[in-house]
Amino acid sequence: MLLLPRRGFLAMSGAAALAAPRLSFAQSARPSLTVAVQKIATSNTLDPLTEQSNVGTRIMNSYLECLIGQNYQDKLQPVPRLATGWRRIDDRTVELELRRGVKFHNGDEMTAADVAFSFSAARMFGDTTPEGWDRTIAVSEERITQRSKELPPQVPAVSRRLWPSLLQVEIVGDYTVRFVNATPDVTMEGRIMALGSQIISRRAFEEAPSWLDFARSPVGTGPYKVASFTPDTELVLVAHEEYFGGRPPLEELRFVQVPEASQRVNGVRAGQYDMACDLTPDQFDTVTADPRLEIAGGIINNIRVTNFDKHDTALADPRVRQAMLHAVDRQLIVDQLWMGQTVVPKGDQFEWYGDMYLSDWAAPAYDPQKSKELLAAAGYKGEPIPYRLLNDYYTLQVNTAQVMVEMWNQAGLNVEIEMKENWAQIWDPEGTRGIHDWSSGGSFPDPVATQPNQWGPQGQAVQTGEYGNDEVNRLCGVLQTSTDRAARRQAFRRMLEIVEYEDPAYGVINQNATFTAKAKSLAWKAAPSFAMDFRPANWPA
Amino acid sequence: MTAFLLRRVLRALLTILIVVAAAFVALRTTSDPAIVVLGPDAPPEAIAAFHEAWGLDRPLWVQFGSYMRDLVHGNFGKSMLDGQDALEKVLDRVAVTLQIMVPALVLGIMAGVGAGTVAALNRGRPLDRLMMLGAVSGFAVPGFVLGLVLVLVFAVTLQWLPSGGNDSWKGTLLPVLTLATGWAAILARFTRSAMIEVLDQPYIRTGSAKGLIWREVVIRHAMPNAAIPVVTMIGFMVGGLLAGAVVTESVFSWPGLGQLIVTSVSSRDVAVVQCVLVLVAATMVMSNMIVDLLYGWLDPRMREGGR
Repeated sequence: MLLLPRRGFLAMSGAAALAAPRLSFAQSARPSLTVAVQKIATSNTLDPLTEQSNVGTRIMNSYLECLIGQNYQDKLQPVPRLATGWRRIDDRTVELELRRGVKFHNGDEMTAADVAFSFSAARMFGDTTPEGWDRTIAVSEERITQRSKELPPQVPAVSRRLWPSLLQVEIVGDYTVRFVNATPDVTMEGRIMALGSQIISRRAFEEAPSWLDFARSPVGTGPYKVASFTPDTELVLVAHEEYFGGRPPLEELRFVQVPEASQRVNGVRAGQYDMACDLTPDQFDTVTADPRLEIAGGIINNIRVTNFDKHDTALADPRVRQAMLHAVDRQLIVDQLWMGQTVVPKGDQFEWYGDMYLSDWAAPAYDPQKSKELLAAAGYKGEPIPYRLLNDYYTLQVNTAQVMVEMWNQAGLNVEIEMKENWAQIWDPEGTRGIHDWSSGGSFPDPVATQPNQWGPQGQAVQTGEYGNDEVNRLCGVLQTSTDRAARRQAFRRMLEIVEYEDPAYGVINQNATFTAKAKSLAWKAAPSFAMDFRPANWPA
Repeated sequence: MTAFLLRRVLRALLTILIVVAAAFVALRTTSDPAIVVLGPDAPPEAIAAFHEAWGLDRPLWVQFGSYMRDLVHGNFGKSMLDGQDALEKVLDRVAVTLQIMVPALVLGIMAGVGAGTVAALNRGRPLDRLMMLGAVSGFAVPGFVLGLVLVLVFAVTLQWLPSGGNDSWKGTLLPVLTLATGWAAILARFTRSAMIEVLDQPYIRTGSAKGLIWREVVIRHAMPNAAIPVVTMIGFMVGGLLAGAVVTESVFSWPGLGQLIVTSVSSRDVAVVQCVLVLVAATMVMSNMIVDLLYGWLDPRMREGGR
């Protein structure tokens, strides 16, 4: 007979009582994850129409989804997400069949009414109208202020940039919708999968006390729902148990803002964070010195470029801009600053453009002698060229700028760095603008996602008075409205010839890359995108 | 006394007005909030509408008049970035900042005044040298360097404390230690020099000569007379409580007022920045007023002079 003293019995009972719930909890519990990021959101909101940023792309797909998704585990190809299929009705119309049984975070089932509302005047466009690709979008003061109680001014402006010619989304049936455009557009499917085209719950939007309330806690269909959001501090998401794609693998997903890069690394080494994002290659050794940690990530569909203000006196002659392009040794930047972790792109384009990708294209070659000859031919006499620069908004931005300034200096160019606080100062038309950094990222697999938005009639560089080229404007028309693939491909090639060689609008530097420190034990795979994928499919048991 | 207080209050209000006016002009003339909020590729029509919606299209002096009118009614305006009430937004962060600033200040005063006094009483001896070595080092090493070293030791190597954030009370320890070290170093040096000066005075020798015990001489005669420069310095520290931890908050990812200031200034969230500046200026001015009153209490000659 086992004799157990009273004290021993009590101690064992207590231990058992403590251990039992912990054990059962452990059997059913999912892990929670804390991700340290440099910035959570730039707009202090979680709405895709106001948070049109690289950092917004990172978090958005965890709580909101598009009808057509991107294959994050491969090359971002279009895949069915909230729509199970789609077909072209004509060159202005796309019909989509919606997935049945998809539940919003508030328990409502997604129907065609929610999809139509997500692209409605009340949600997106205010009182703006589709006016065609070749006209300035009329987001008049009157129109915006009339609706400003519901929508902030930037929402209709951004929406029309994303969907310049969308007439409406027609409800064909409870689970069938049609996107109808005012003009022919072969990229409609691409726009449907882009940041800003996420589907929201109509009821949740209408019941929110204000636009800001909804923008701080949007209700969508993603695998996680917003539990709390403290701008500049943390975003806490919790599992959406009714997610159509299966049981979310994480109980809680928390993004915390840690501005200092070294502190993000320290935090992951200390075990305080499970992942640390936005690392630079020179931090890799510090991370991998800990045998429990590894680096995930790599090249993404985003290209770092330097934009010219072609109307700047010193840059008006295209030969000076051409000289600048030939003076930069891009491969050296990739090898030394990026430690070979990225590549020099073949111009401002991505392989995922498919048959629109020009595989034989190349950025202007590094040729200092040619650079000097061009400067001599242009009669350049050392006029200063200002380089308006932000403090590492992009990874390795300041280091790259300093290296390029030295390369330009060796070619005989007088480029002067001017540090700026924000984008408004970069774009300030007062004074001489010279050059500034930019990144070009295609949100869908077609050159329309990048080129016309920048260099076309509605492009930001044109609207801000930095660039303008009549032939480029015409080619943008072909790209945006032609349905002839061969003609579009030819137009794209000609456009690159102009904007990268003949009348340079920018110069590519390197393909962008993102790197994340994480525990080796986490079987999570980084996407070739700013987006982080925490759906069940990317979390093997 | 009433006239004295009235003068001080008027001067305080004038100081705050100058701060507000200078910040108002600087923030509105160095960058356009519309482009920051709407993005560089926003259509000109959207930018014009934003200007109209926020009154940025009016002449600067009209905007300032309107702002001041709202201010005297206690309305600090709304954040251009997200529409939230500016005062509410700022006060939320003030509470978080004070969680590290108040303990750091108390710790800094206790350690600094204590060390400075001990050093002065042991002038020229090894203990004095040791304490001044510590004080000079604490003063010379920037807070962000000390903070990172503390993180490497206590978070990364020993894994005793979190590297940043305010998830638990443990998160306050390293930022408090970082801030307190800098303040203690400054106060130790001030206290030491003030005490040494006072200890050389004839009345201290008189006190000793007439038979008072040394501890009483130090506490009752030396310390109050040495307190004036120390209190002045503490006044500055109290005045800087709200905005004095920008770097430390950044290093420790502490979501306080410092981080809000950085974000708001870079994004030209004018209402929020103005609100912060008013609070910071008011704290500094009030702290100086209290220090002035303390002067009179510590040294009756100043009270007399005040009349």
